[in-house]
Amino acid sequence: MKRRELLRTGAALSGALTLAGCSSLIETRAAGVPPVPENRPDGVYYPSHVEGMEMVGTASSGDYTVGLMYSYPHRFWNVNGESVALTEIDADDAVHLMASVWDTDTEAILPDTGLSAEIYREGSLVSQEAIYPMLSQPMGFHYGANFGLDGEGEYTVRLSVGAMSTRRTGAFEGRFADPTTVEIPFEYSEAAKEDIAFRTLDDQVSTPGAVDAMAMTALPDAVAPAESALPGRVLGSATSDDARLIVTALDTPPAGVDGDGTYLAVSARTRYNRMVIPAMGLSGRLARNGEAVYDGAFERTLDPDLGYHYGAVVDDIASGDELTLSVTVQPQTARHEGYETAFGGLMGGMPDVTVAVP
Amino acid sequence: MSIDGDRSRRAVLKAAVALGGASALSACLDRTDDDPVPTGDPAAKPPRQHAWREYVRHDDHGNSRLPAHQVLLYLDFDVGGPPTDADRDALAASLAALDRAYAWRHEGLLHSIAYSPAYFDRFDTPLPEGIDLPEPTALSPFESPTFDRQDAVLHLASDRADAVLEADRALRGEREAANGVSVPSLTEVATVDSRRTGFVGAGLPAANQDAAGIPDSKPVPEASPLFMGFEAGFRGNQATEDYVTVDTGPFAGGTTKVIANLRQRLADWYDEQSHEERVMEMFSPGHAENGLVEGVGDNLGSSSGIDRFVDSVVDDAREHGRVGHAQKAARANRDADGNVRLLRRHFESTDDIGSDQRVASLHFPSLQRRISAFEAVRRAMNGTDLTEATPAIRQRVNNGILEYIFVRRRGNFLVPPRRHRVLPTPRPE
Repeated sequence: MKRRELLRTGAALSGALTLAGCSSLIETRAAGVPPVPENRPDGVYYPSHVEGMEMVGTASSGDYTVGLMYSYPHRFWNVNGESVALTEIDADDAVHLMASVWDTDTEAILPDTGLSAEIYREGSLVSQEAIYPMLSQPMGFHYGANFGLDGEGEYTVRLSVGAMSTRRTGAFEGRFADPTTVEIPFEYSEAAKEDIAFRTLDDQVSTPGAVDAMAMTALPDAVAPAESALPGRVLGSATSDDARLIVTALDTPPAGVDGDGTYLAVSARTRYNRMVIPAMGLSGRLARNGEAVYDGAFERTLDPDLGYHYGAVVDDIASGDELTLSVTVQPQTARHEGYETAFGGLMGGMPDVTVAVP
Repeated sequence: MSIDGDRSRRAVLKAAVALGGASALSACLDRTDDDPVPTGDPAAKPPRQHAWREYVRHDDHGNSRLPAHQVLLYLDFDVGGPPTDADRDALAASLAALDRAYAWRHEGLLHSIAYSPAYFDRFDTPLPEGIDLPEPTALSPFESPTFDRQDAVLHLASDRADAVLEADRALRGEREAANGVSVPSLTEVATVDSRRTGFVGAGLPAANQDAAGIPDSKPVPEASPLFMGFEAGFRGNQATEDYVTVDTGPFAGGTTKVIANLRQRLADWYDEQSHEERVMEMFSPGHAENGLVEGVGDNLGSSSGIDRFVDSVVDDAREHGRVGHAQKAARANRDADGNVRLLRRHFESTDDIGSDQRVASLHFPSLQRRISAFEAVRRAMNGTDLTEATPAIRQRVNNGILEYIFVRRRGNFLVPPRRHRVLPTPRPE
């Protein structure tokens, strides 16, 4: 039986049974991945299973530090504009490679850099791809892709970080403006991979909630600041398709933002585990006595204190004003299981939300 | 050289590898023409080294069909300072021998030599004011290419693989003569730092698609002149040779040349996308919506028709979440009067510079009066403004073809007019 057919058969069976029935035949646990849960809610939910990951290494260059991790090949849902499409595990996939990029100085995770990977074995090119940004419950924002490899052995992974075009403010102004490339050696063995944790969830599967973020000492977390830690005056928050949007007001815009007035920052994070939600299109309408005093974009921005957020300058705010936020483009990150129906996603819909100025 | 079955194919393979270049393979396999290669008259060459248009084949729409087989020899001259008369005599003899050996035609040999900023640095005098020849630089926020800073590059092109290979081998001192004419080797005055080979034209990419970067499904259509499955370089989207020619000063009649080398990764291009999506990313969403491109795009005739979709690029980004390569680049590729600024002469390769592996790549020579014109077009291709307009357009994803091409090398060169092609000073008389 060819491995591809085996995978198909495996995918058709339910999780535990597959593992028990095929364990003597299969090469990797990927064949035993449980099917996508039925009756998924439209929102963040407990996935069928959780895979651990293993740190491969980190390397620093310029402003950036890059961490490389790997795990079993994953299925995920790609997001392009309004389309959300399942990418199945391919029979040739050996690993899911994940990379995070952070500021070496502050350890702030940097979304929107763009990342590509080259994989070499003994100087020979094995693969080269632009890697997609992704959101997963255990990791939050990262870059990830499944890769086939040429068997066990020593590989070299070259990771190229692109310069950010996202607006940067405060001490981040002018930084992350150049590309860089780092090289991380990767020793691949099936046995080491099979040691990576893999657990299926039972009764919780498909119920609202999220698994805990995975703690890795070498890897900064991709969690948004707690509401109480946000600078400025927090005006309120609202939830749209399990994206929690917290609005805070700064008396003056941070350095790097044009214009005078009050700076309204929207910090978007996942419900349950507070993972930063980047790469949305967001617009807002600030109404006073029913009249718009601002109606326009909230621009993607990275700030050392606010974190990654969406910001706009308005003349001023007054008690009783109502800010209506509209997601014009759903978060343009691929989703791991448990996030694919939330924040727009497979079932669409990120309704407008309104926050009243207290 | 005839091909009967696997055994002789293996023999050809070995012979081709012995010639020293992966793409020599395609050249050899293609060599079935027993007609003699026409010899040349040195007095009958055009004054511009870059004069190709009148001497290559054209398709039914008047688009140029570039010579099928091409070689780039990157040269470092042995002399450290300004060249001596002996250096000039030696190089002149090699080039004059090529002139005698081959007619200046696609079934003979087209050749040109171009010089880098590093070459001109050996002189105390700077280049004339009007010559825009900066050192190469990174032109996107995500690339870190190795710069080709060799002294010169000699470009050989012909529809006859045997002509290109003989000329190449004679110039490198591997044989005495080319097409029956004795050719003094370049190694008298220079070292060949890098030899790069390639091919272009319907059939050749399909025949050479067994290379890393192209999926096993053998997706490259037989009709396509390039690996990505579409025609390119339509007459209406190319600058004329007159337009790219320097018109004043000692280098009048010359041009500037940027040569990049890009690695191509076409698995997702072919396996994850429909023809319509590829049309969207190569040309524009409007081309896809209106069904303007059939197959490899021969139906487009003599123009891709991109100009009518240039102004809508930001709207397209918002509406479709994708933008086209051609529509982005065209934004910067027109002068105030609407003339196209670049004359692109790219060709495919399976060279992987620095290794013997067969990897899909593209050699991208572009001619323009000023290097800055190329830089502006290349930057427009980044679509950075579009990534700001909507998060659906990412740095390399949904952003034309940037997801599939990886720049590895770039060099800038001056192609002098023929009269100054031999080791020119910055102010030749």
